Amino acid sequence: MAPITGPSHLVNSLASPAHLETSASQLDGVPKDLEDSIRFETSRLLQATGILLRLPQEIIAQSIVVLSRFWSGADGMSLLECDAVDAAAAALYLTAKPSATPLSPRSLLTVLEYTSTVSPHYSQASTGASEPQWSLSEGSYETARDRLYATEAQLLRTLGFQTHVALPHALCINYLQTLQVFKAPSSDGSALAKRAIKLLNTALLSPQQLFLTHQPPALATAAIYLAVREEGVNLPDVEWWEVFDVDREELGFLVVALTSVEGFAEREREVWGDRKVPLTVGEVRAEIERRTMLEEGE
Amino acid sequence: MALAAPPPAGMTDPTQRRFRGAARISEYEVMKEKLGEGTFGVVSKGVSKRSGKVFALKKILMHNEKDGFPITALREVKLLKMLSHPNILRLEEMAVERQSADDKGKNGKKRATLYMVSPYADHDLSGMLTNPDIRFQESQIKCYMQQLLEGLRYLHDSHILHRDMKAANILISNTGVLQIADFGLARHYEGPTPQPGKGNGEAVRDYTSLVVTRWYRPPELLLTLKKYTPAIDMWGVGCVFGEMFERKPILEGRTDVDQCVRIFKLVGSPNESNMPGWSSLPGCEGHKEWEQRKGDIDQRFGQHLKPEGLDLLKSLLCLDYKKRVNAIDALQHPYFKTAPLPARPEDLPRYQDSHELDARRRGQEKKMNLPPAPAGGTVGMGPDEWNPQGGPYGGNGYHNGPNYPRDRGPPRRYDDRRGPPPPDSSRQPHWRQDRDNRARMPPAANGHGLPPPPADLPRRPDMRNGPPPPPGSRGPPAGGPNVDTYIPSYAGGRGSREGSYRDPDAVPPPPSRGYRDDPYRERERERGPLPGYDRARRTRSRSPEQEDMRRARLQNRERDFYGR
Ligand SMILES: Nc1ncnc2c1ncn2[C@@H]1O[C@H](COP(=O)(O)OP(=O)(O)OP(=O)(O)O)[C@@H](O)[C@H]1O
Ligand SMILES: [Mg+2]
Repeated sequence: MAPITGPSHLVNSLASPAHLETSASQLDGVPKDLEDSIRFETSRLLQATGILLRLPQEIIAQSIVVLSRFWSGADGMSLLECDAVDAAAAALYLTAKPSATPLSPRSLLTVLEYTSTVSPHYSQASTGASEPQWSLSEGSYETARDRLYATEAQLLRTLGFQTHVALPHALCINYLQTLQVFKAPSSDGSALAKRAIKLLNTALLSPQQLFLTHQPPALATAAIYLAVREEGVNLPDVEWWEVFDVDREELGFLVVALTSVEGFAEREREVWGDRKVPLTVGEVRAEIERRTMLEEGE
Repeated sequence: MALAAPPPAGMTDPTQRRFRGAARISEYEVMKEKLGEGTFGVVSKGVSKRSGKVFALKKILMHNEKDGFPITALREVKLLKMLSHPNILRLEEMAVERQSADDKGKNGKKRATLYMVSPYADHDLSGMLTNPDIRFQESQIKCYMQQLLEGLRYLHDSHILHRDMKAANILISNTGVLQIADFGLARHYEGPTPQPGKGNGEAVRDYTSLVVTRWYRPPELLLTLKKYTPAIDMWGVGCVFGEMFERKPILEGRTDVDQCVRIFKLVGSPNESNMPGWSSLPGCEGHKEWEQRKGDIDQRFGQHLKPEGLDLLKSLLCLDYKKRVNAIDALQHPYFKTAPLPARPEDLPRYQDSHELDARRRGQEKKMNLPPAPAGGTVGMGPDEWNPQGGPYGGNGYHNGPNYPRDRGPPRRYDDRRGPPPPDSSRQPHWRQDRDNRARMPPAANGHGLPPPPADLPRRPDMRNGPPPPPGSRGPPAGGPNVDTYIPSYAGGRGSREGSYRDPDAVPPPPSRGYRDDPYRERERERGPLPGYDRARRTRSRSPEQEDMRRARLQNRERDFYGR
């Protein structure tokens, strides 16, 4: 056999378990649960901002993965070194740049200014309940733009210029076709597909960094498995996932991880209520301080 | 399987590649010698101080005040990082050059220079072909063709269009290994990948037709097809194949129209049977009528090639891009199975280094004894192309400038495939300012200086100054019914608990953003403990390994922006 490798646009650079054991932020003293909250919140911020910017979900999802690479591992960036909101902006800017839908710094920063003011009530943004801020003065635009470029540089350096992200979404549809769900008379294949895609987008928000630890085929398979269960569709009673090279153990792990995101999100809502999750270095410091004082006050 | 080239040492599984780090340029001894002049800057030779190995360093000039990291470089780096194949140039790492404090941009900001580091190849094909001391055997040509096709097969199978196939972008090492380089114009391709026996498939969307250096540009691009396919790269392979016999580019068009004329003279003029649909294409700079020709490819290449070779050349230089052979099928062509059989890379002769620039230099020396070329004589090279009053070709429709007003792409940018504006650019019409910088180079000396590469991709009109879409126009941004995600909504009816945790006496957070006003300032070396935060408690639960990592991190802090 010739030493030909398969097309590598379908695979991701993964983080090793050792890599994910700790993070720069934790080493700097940011509690793990606070880190999780911030990562979750910035992912939601990216999702909301990306939608307002009319970006394809592909770009939004990739930017969320890029951002989670940025914070991961001891050699990643720390939440006490870089404002989370700046990092999110740079991740979206960088991901969109070489794509068919690049962003101008101005539109990105303006929309981000807007979404930041409605945070955490993104879903209320459309109701007009809040008075969002969505204009940037020329001066603050220029400062923000310079900061965007600086953070972009930081992001590239930290990622070792590895900006390619393979997503499981298209693969998931392929797999469903292979499983012939769109042909089966009794099942609604498109409802199943929608559910699976939703699950994949949910997986982006998992505190377990699933996109850094599992390749697209495994993620796609797990989403289908769960969607099938939730939609009550009957698939052949065989271990069909093996066709996609996913073993039972990995599948089991991912299914549990996927199912737990909802509970995690629920807890986040309870913990934070109407308080804003800290998204700048200053806010993170203040939050750590606040917790310390609470602890000491006990 | 056919391919002979062994994987270069150190080739890794892309999934295993670390995603961290950039080296310092000081880890390399940069040689004076220029290998080539790229879009972003110069390509130089460098020796790693760590390993003693030789590398090529391609400079990416950063102008931080523009759009951040240059988009062309970003595309190239991203693709190279993703690809892993013996016949594709490997990106070893990125290296950063720290600029001295007084070498600042106009806002007083430091600029960083980045280098793409790739293994040094002794030759590029253009340099080899113009080197009078090098003669190719047919077995050698077959060996290179096979490797070139293997590389392209992999690229196309990975959904990538190269879009700048030409001899100067094909590197050859002294171990006989050929590698495709220069991914500055490459992009992801959305259409189905080529399948055996099925040509190059159909594109599913439009791309800019302003790609591929003119002499290697396929007829469908010259006639402004936008839904093009991997077939455009296959045409370039045909040009390179022919070039290996004639030892100079086979279709040296002086203008885009002239390029068409030369193509049709070689392979015949288009009609509904040899290029179905050609007449409904927009045409070349308004030209849609072509002189009827039969094509002289048999006469021209019959002297070099036996029937199998001629057949392969014709199937690569096939006017009908739907029928043009794909890389998979070309590799199966009888040409590679008839005598003389392809040589093995390791059996090929070794030569002194030769790169495209050497060729230009060689030419330059010869040139001095020759009468000056007529003004604008080598189109794309003549200084008169820059004359707003029109040199020999001014304003007669032969330019690819004025006829592409909407397609010219972005205003001049530092990272595009054109050089800086000529000195008097302010007095020139805008479209002329957009011309390729090579147009201003001294007349080509080796008889075939390169024609203009294409302009860069047009950018999507940006939303500058426009307000963001009205919040109500798209439904709830997240968690709502229109959205393919179910981010749980925070819109619970819960009352605000904001006040309950707030401590009015809390120390105000330190300003977090100030230090970023200078984006190239180094990161803080070490920070003091957080106010009110017990450092001992913070570290108590940490393992010794974590402490080591933390220390390593602190040491790394002094590293500058793109550094590891
Ligand atoms: N790894 C390498 N080893 C040896 N020479 C190289 C290497 N990489 C590039 N070169 C030389 O530098 C030249 C320019 O490099 P490259 O084509 O990557 O730059 P570019 O900016 O895309 O140039 P162009 O303007 O031709 O598109 C090549 O033609 C080749 O001669
Ligand atoms: Mg080149």
